[in-house]
Amino acid sequence: MSEAILSNETKGLINKNVIIEAKNLSVAFEAHTVLKNVDLFVEKGETLVLIGPSGQGKTVLLKTLAGLIEPTAGTLSLYHKQWRGLPENEKIKILDKMGMLFQKNALFDSLSCGENIAFPLREKTQKSELEIQEIVDYFLESVGIIHAKNLYPEEISGGMQKRLGIARALALMPELIFYDDPTAGLDPITSKKIIELILELKKKNNATVIAITNDMNRAYQMADRIAMVYQQNLIITGNVEETKKHSNPAVHQFIKGELLGPLNSSFENL
Amino acid sequence: MKAIFFFFDDFGSSIIFLKDILKTMIFRPCSRRLVFEQIWQVTIQSLPTTAMAGFFVGAIMTVQFAMQVSEFGALPYLGGLATSGTIREIGPLLIAFMLSGKVGAYTSAELGTMRVTEQIDAIRCLGADPIQEIILPRFIGIIISSFFLLTIGLIMSVVGGVILGYFFSGINPEEYVRHIPTILAWPSLLSGLIKCLTFAVVLATICTYKGYFTTGGAKGVGRSVVSTAVTTMMSIVVADWGTSFVGEIIINMCKDYFL
Ligand SMILES: Nc1ncnc2c1ncn2[C@@H]1O[C@H](COP(=O)(O)OP(=O)(O)OP(=O)(O)O)[C@@H](O)[C@H]1O
Ligand SMILES: [Mg+2]
Repeated sequence: MSEAILSNETKGLINKNVIIEAKNLSVAFEAHTVLKNVDLFVEKGETLVLIGPSGQGKTVLLKTLAGLIEPTAGTLSLYHKQWRGLPENEKIKILDKMGMLFQKNALFDSLSCGENIAFPLREKTQKSELEIQEIVDYFLESVGIIHAKNLYPEEISGGMQKRLGIARALALMPELIFYDDPTAGLDPITSKKIIELILELKKKNNATVIAITNDMNRAYQMADRIAMVYQQNLIITGNVEETKKHSNPAVHQFIKGELLGPLNSSFENL
Repeated sequence: MKAIFFFFDDFGSSIIFLKDILKTMIFRPCSRRLVFEQIWQVTIQSLPTTAMAGFFVGAIMTVQFAMQVSEFGALPYLGGLATSGTIREIGPLLIAFMLSGKVGAYTSAELGTMRVTEQIDAIRCLGADPIQEIILPRFIGIIISSFFLLTIGLIMSVVGGVILGYFFSGINPEEYVRHIPTILAWPSLLSGLIKCLTFAVVLATICTYKGYFTTGGAKGVGRSVVSTAVTTMMSIVVADWGTSFVGEIIINMCKDYFL
């Protein structure tokens, strides 16, 4: 079974559906190597969940795939275009299709919650003020913070900020969405609802989702494929069933949340 | 050695950044509303301080010149001298220093905070170009409003000169103003405007560059602000010398050509 996954990776080149193609990707900050020779292919419409211990480079990988961090080596292609050296207007065209939720939300703190969502709509669409407000209300409603429309990000709770971040990422109905820990800081019921919302919106416009989460239940709830970032590598563990039965001891330990295993030593090194 | 290397590195990067800004300005201009907002903000922010500084510069120049000029009995020319001095040199320099303290620090802190809280990345992920959306309006705003401020500073310096001239040396205000056009020649005016433009470009480039490339959290923002203040002051003084030097050469060339 894992062979099918493997061939998926090698098939990438000829597969028209592959929208993210990373080959031999390495990322380092000065002397500190975070990722080394990572290969990843993401197909249109799939949901890939990244898991892995804290500080191993999940966020760095996500940002690299979104074109925010320049890899130190290797190549990244988005929508069949080599990212490095792509002219700015071509880059913007691709970025228009993407949405991103940042781990720390990155909300515009000088804009009210409603305006945070309206910002991309004003920038990128020709919609009238009335239409914009309708869309803003719809998304605020979906994430359950419509009452906070006129408050500023610093005036709402952490969980509400997270939900606002999700709403803003979705405002332009992107077809490729990156979520960095969408359920962090949310209670179990809200986080389940948020995942349902993510899946619903994904289905609506057949979006591709790459999400980071360390909550395995949520990972199982949404993943088509799971991959673990560990020791500068990306271990693609396959779909939910395959991941649960994965042979790698580190993966096994991680998803079970056991204290004893190969991961312990890596924590000590942090 | 490392510091020198670092200096040139920084200098080069800011030139490249300036090139990016200018390229964006030509090919992907930002909305006018954003620019007007910035002009308004910068002008309002620095108006009181600039006006006051202008007033006192005019006053100081008048008092200083009055002592020397009265020995030659050229007191009526005081207004022209003081104003020409202000417009050529002190005015632009003063505006630049005022702006670098207020607007430069403000801008680099604002952009730096946006950078470290990933708001700049967020803008980019929403398909907007941060240089077009947040850098360009600030850049143009600072440059245009520095001309407004220069004008206001000059008017205030004339006012200061008139008042002090009247009380200190008893020059009739009408006389003070009447001689301004006779001494204030086009080259002075031009030199003042060119200086103002140069300083504004230097300031706008440095503060947006330092803010935009901030790293390292709250400390990093602090570092950016300090380094903006120091770098702009130094660069402005150097640019002042540079423009005077180049201006001199150009004037001499013109003289050879026309006379
Ligand atoms: N801008 C940066 N400069 C230097 N080092 C960085 C930078 N960003 C990340 N790192 C380093 O990269 C490593 C991976 O960080 P990353 O944020 O990707 O971890 P993570 O897997 O997302 O962890 P968590 O689950 O805690 O969010 C860390 O060791 C971190 O120190
Ligand atoms: Mg992270």
